[in-house]
Amino acid sequence: MTERLPGLLDGYRALDLTNEIGFTCGKILAAMGVDTIKIEKPGGDAARNIPPFAGGVPNPEKSLYWWAGNTDKQSITLDIETSDGQALFRRLAAKADFVIESFMPGYLDSLGLGYAALRDLNPRSIMTSITPFGQRGDYSQFKGSELIASAMSSVMAGNGDSDRAPLREGPDSIYYLANTAAAAGTAIAHYRRELTGTGQHVDISLQHVSAMRGSVDLFVWEFDKRLIKRIGPFRRNGPRATRWIWPCKDGHVFWTLMTGTVGAPANRALSQWMDELGANNPLRAIENWEKLNLAEITQERLDVMQVAIGAFFLSLTKREIAEEGLRRGINASVVNNSADLLDNPQLTAREYWTELPSPESAIAPKYPKHFILSTETENFVRQRAPMIGEHNDEIYRGELGLTTDKIAELKAAHVI
Amino acid sequence: MSSNSSIVDRSSHSQALDGVKVLDFGWALVGSLTSKYLADYGAEVVKIESSTRIDLSRLVRNVSTAQANNLDDKPWFVHLNTSKFGFTFNLKHPRAREVMDRLIRWADVINENFTPGTLAKLGYGYDYACKLSPGIIMVSGSAYGQTGPLAHEWGIDGTGAAWSGYLDLTGWADRDPVGPQMPYGDAVVPYLNILAVVAALDYRRRTGKGQHIDTAMTDVATHQITPFLLDWQVNGHLQTRAGNRIAHASPHGVFPCQGEDQWCAIAVFNHEEWNAFCRVIGNPDWTSEARFSTLALRKENEDVLEGLVAEWTRQQTAETVMNLMQRAGVPAGVVQTAQDLIERDPQMRAREFLTPLEHPVLRTMGHPTPPFKLMETPAQVRTAPRLGEHVEYVCKHMLGMSDAEYAELAQADVFK
Repeated sequence: MTERLPGLLDGYRALDLTNEIGFTCGKILAAMGVDTIKIEKPGGDAARNIPPFAGGVPNPEKSLYWWAGNTDKQSITLDIETSDGQALFRRLAAKADFVIESFMPGYLDSLGLGYAALRDLNPRSIMTSITPFGQRGDYSQFKGSELIASAMSSVMAGNGDSDRAPLREGPDSIYYLANTAAAAGTAIAHYRRELTGTGQHVDISLQHVSAMRGSVDLFVWEFDKRLIKRIGPFRRNGPRATRWIWPCKDGHVFWTLMTGTVGAPANRALSQWMDELGANNPLRAIENWEKLNLAEITQERLDVMQVAIGAFFLSLTKREIAEEGLRRGINASVVNNSADLLDNPQLTAREYWTELPSPESAIAPKYPKHFILSTETENFVRQRAPMIGEHNDEIYRGELGLTTDKIAELKAAHVI
Repeated sequence: MSSNSSIVDRSSHSQALDGVKVLDFGWALVGSLTSKYLADYGAEVVKIESSTRIDLSRLVRNVSTAQANNLDDKPWFVHLNTSKFGFTFNLKHPRAREVMDRLIRWADVINENFTPGTLAKLGYGYDYACKLSPGIIMVSGSAYGQTGPLAHEWGIDGTGAAWSGYLDLTGWADRDPVGPQMPYGDAVVPYLNILAVVAALDYRRRTGKGQHIDTAMTDVATHQITPFLLDWQVNGHLQTRAGNRIAHASPHGVFPCQGEDQWCAIAVFNHEEWNAFCRVIGNPDWTSEARFSTLALRKENEDVLEGLVAEWTRQQTAETVMNLMQRAGVPAGVVQTAQDLIERDPQMRAREFLTPLEHPVLRTMGHPTPPFKLMETPAQVRTAPRLGEHVEYVCKHMLGMSDAEYAELAQADVFK
């Protein structure tokens, strides 16, 4: 083993009661060194039934979705709806620095385990709650999901083709975003707690986190009573729609016409490349890209340029655009897929991947190892997600000092 | 801090990040949002601008009231820069360094998101900052990271979305990928920046050591798609765009409702939700057909199923669909717009997502509050600074300059 640098949050302990809505927060904190214990109901977290599965057959130990979201955690099973389970939870919570949960608001209170109870037990406690709509308000008891958050936050209204239904983003992007916001809020509460000795409750709403991405839409409505609509692979850029995503010979490429000093070098480089390959090139007519203002050319003229650019990209492969485009500085980016990424030189150069073997998989798949790099600390994904109750023995016997008989008794009663 | 208190009039509540000092070179979205949330939670953020290099969001005219010759009338800048102090200065001035050195010595944190290498080229890289202030924490956000063959390339939100595999997964199976009209990478990196910075402050409290943190939009957005990367490696299954459908819920889509371009999202994950869904729509005969009786069968017959669901939703308003479904325990949500969020949605209003504040040029307008809520030390949002608004205040009250010292530098045109 090579010597490891410390993590930013080494030495702290989190209890993680989340489902898929909130388990990435604990994953992030765990990579930063927080000793994170996933508390699952006996039989395992329901989110272990989310596909895809290793080998394709449903099995709670083989959910790749669950593996992805629970690296570096320990797992214990515990039924917090039983009084014995609640007593054990209180013992763990009394010494924990963080509790992360994603139940319906009010559920933990109904068990006597909500933030108020936690604070009485341990005033240093920080409870982070990640829920569809937040802890209070008219919709706090509404059920949610990635799809619902996308709809209710207005992100979806601006995503998709105008002739079909609005679209969610492909991955569970809002879960991921809300969990990074949750981790940020947790860290701020922690910073404060270490100075004052007092913790607090941190409240994350998927809808709210996602809605703030629409800051431009919000003030455009406030000032001009204008709504930004979904327009397929285009994006509204001030007064004009510029194309963002273009088909190429073997996939897609991202490129957009930006004006002023920011976009000028790339536009000029693209125009020159089009000329060299003898493509139809209306961009050539632009003399001063630095002075070009999208607001001052017509959409028709912009469209003529975009049609020509589209034909040009269609004649090239992803690889040609990635390599030759980079050399020429056209500032394009290819639309990668999972297979492309695993071979990507930039990620490889950043030592982005880590292989994590699992007894449930014939191969040791590569996982993204980091989301931040630091000169002083290592905040890396290091350990595969745990099996159901894999650490029951360490925690119940080793840490809480329960006897083998007592553990057997709790198992028989389905508490653990 | 008692004199001149009108500038920094905070309520008497203390804030979570009281006393944290941030020297802020952040611009565009990632840099600006990182320091905005830190400032909203009480950090003293001095935003450095220069009259020769103006922040993008002071220039883009995306509302009709915006004037080309006014740098203080853009609501976009206000949204991204609340609660900060505005400082301008001419980095090329021969006496710039003496002021900058004092700012670096004053700061706990330096926030920047220039193209990697830019700050070092200006003579203010991490190594230099460390010499002046050994425990300093620097956070650098970028498209591809500070290292690797693409480090010196730049990108915008869509660059990261495309490159990381997230865009390839978003859209209809038979069409080009699409992306929302609002940012993702630019929204997610700030949260990880904040997490890292605040954890690094705690790390410094414990160890005395600072660090340089490197966040890359492409690393983060790729981290998000871990389940897809695992499915490809373990199962050889390369997932691509699937509209609004997911493998473990059906119906799971966005359905047309009464009115023009009105939609409601519905997500049915399990048997209870399916039964409740059928009851809500009045148990029409088709709901008891064998081909819809299990999730697997509904997935097999999803085209037909979605058509039948739409027949019912078309007769209702989107709001009715949401309310009926939610009351019965079925996740559902209106596809809301910015207008809905501002004028209709009671939940977002209850969370005070936009707080009305007076801006000297724009008058009263909604200012975004952080979507992660610390219940005991809530964010206190102030309006964004006019260009150079706080130069004198920062010099005298933060850097401790005498009146004469400040006047001399001002006369020498350092603060331009």
